[in-house]
Amino acid sequence: MKDEAVIKQSWPMSRLRQFTLSTVLNRMRDFVKSVAFSLTGFCILLVIWSLISGISAGSLPGPARTLRVFGQLLSHPFYDNGPNDKGVGIQLITSIGRVFVGFGLGSVVAIPAGMLIGASPEFKKMFYPLVQLLRPVSPLAWFPLGLAVFKSAGSATIFVIFITSLWPTLINTAFGVASVPDDHRNLARAFAFSKRKYLTKILIPYSLPYILTGLRLSVGVAWLVIVAGEMLSGGIGIGFFVWDSWNALSLERVMSAILLIGLVGLLLDRGFDLIARRFSYE
Amino acid sequence: MKQKTISPVHSTEYLKLRDVTISFDTPSGIFTAVKNINLTVARGEIASIIGHSGCGKSTILNAIGGLVTPSAGEMVLGGVKIDEPGPDRGIVFQHYSLLPWLTVYQNIFEAVDSVCKDKTKKEKAELVESFLMKVRLWDHRDKRPAQISGGMKQRVAVARAFAIHPEVLLLDEPFGALDALTKASLHEELVELLQMDNQTDTVVIVTHDIEEAIFLSDKIVVMTNGPEATVGEIIQVPIPRPRDKREIVHLKEYVEVHDRLLYLLMDAFAAQRRPAA
Repeated sequence: MKDEAVIKQSWPMSRLRQFTLSTVLNRMRDFVKSVAFSLTGFCILLVIWSLISGISAGSLPGPARTLRVFGQLLSHPFYDNGPNDKGVGIQLITSIGRVFVGFGLGSVVAIPAGMLIGASPEFKKMFYPLVQLLRPVSPLAWFPLGLAVFKSAGSATIFVIFITSLWPTLINTAFGVASVPDDHRNLARAFAFSKRKYLTKILIPYSLPYILTGLRLSVGVAWLVIVAGEMLSGGIGIGFFVWDSWNALSLERVMSAILLIGLVGLLLDRGFDLIARRFSYE
Repeated sequence: MKQKTISPVHSTEYLKLRDVTISFDTPSGIFTAVKNINLTVARGEIASIIGHSGCGKSTILNAIGGLVTPSAGEMVLGGVKIDEPGPDRGIVFQHYSLLPWLTVYQNIFEAVDSVCKDKTKKEKAELVESFLMKVRLWDHRDKRPAQISGGMKQRVAVARAFAIHPEVLLLDEPFGALDALTKASLHEELVELLQMDNQTDTVVIVTHDIEEAIFLSDKIVVMTNGPEATVGEIIQVPIPRPRDKREIVHLKEYVEVHDRLLYLLMDAFAAQRRPAA
């Protein structure tokens, strides 16, 4: 066939072209450029930070003092001297664990619920107003309910994360399921797809990118909320660590924790982005 | 030409549309796409529906496919009323309608798997393989639709429609998005497939391409303009099939049909505008 021939000829050619010396050099130059821009951004931040620290006459610790404390924290991340004195690594891991348990439970509820709401107008009419009513509520408002039910601050925190993780996943899943193109629906009807085949070969693959976007948003918000949740719950976790450091009047530790929280958040987001790319079919 | 035993009752009115009107409920009121469509297609006949865009020709095809329910009138296929999609009709959709997350092979297999329930897995696999061979895509079976050209995508869609062994093939502007060379080779491939197949012989094609309509069909249904489009004229193509693309253009019959179609589409049904209601 003619179109095949064209593809067969042009493919290896374009492949070859990708690996010539000049393109490799071009790519290296682009990479160095973008790294340089990022570093410049960080430098600007450091300068502003130093200035503010200088103006505040040292009541806000500057970059150098903070980084020294940051280094100390990271040199013994997993020490454990009893309930109120644990390494920052233990605090982080506890928080990440809670986020994943709450997020996992939330996803298990949100994905099927989103599918039902997206697929059936009746379900949508029944439950969507509820979702819209509860979604704007700060998840922390659920904390007392969690405490009352579970009688444990740690479980109540997980419950807060569970509630947090519901909404973005549910809404994105419902949107994905509801937006299956007519072409796909007609295809399923014309070729007499069974319910099961429609679900596994059309509905789920089509809505998977939407579901993954929802999960990515959910885990992001969960990571935002866990810090505040643990400030309330106390005991252990990175949020507790921030609050405890403030009580110990160590803003260096607070700023270090901010850096760490940002890093973990970034990694979570990148991780979910990678998974989403893995499942994109375009 | 292949020989077939055709049941005499359905030989000339195998597919029959009687006074079919199709309207849609839209936010701005009822929109009537096509009105009072009367059309018969004999078993073994190839019919084209041709018209300007917006004349409801795809709507008619979808109705024959059972995907759209007419608001009035009757559609009968092989003596049975059409009211839902069925495996006796294979549809090739306008935009290929391949599932982008499945490979070429899986796209055909899922259709075969779902329609041919009484076949074993091995028989289904053999069926898919034979049709992939026929459209010369066996080497590309593990590619996804995004990795192949438009012409190849359309051949997958054609193979999928043939693979379920329908009696009627419904093609919705199948080659509209393809370049002229790819189009020409796909026309010939389609004719070959029809000759090789001993089940599928009746075809309805929606098109806006005059040359395509004449080359492929026995009968060309010319639509008036929409909304409320209807059958303007039915033209027989008195050239025996199979045809040779290079030779038929010199035939007197070809030129006559071509001129008539051109006149109808460019003049008679071109500037037609309904007065504002």
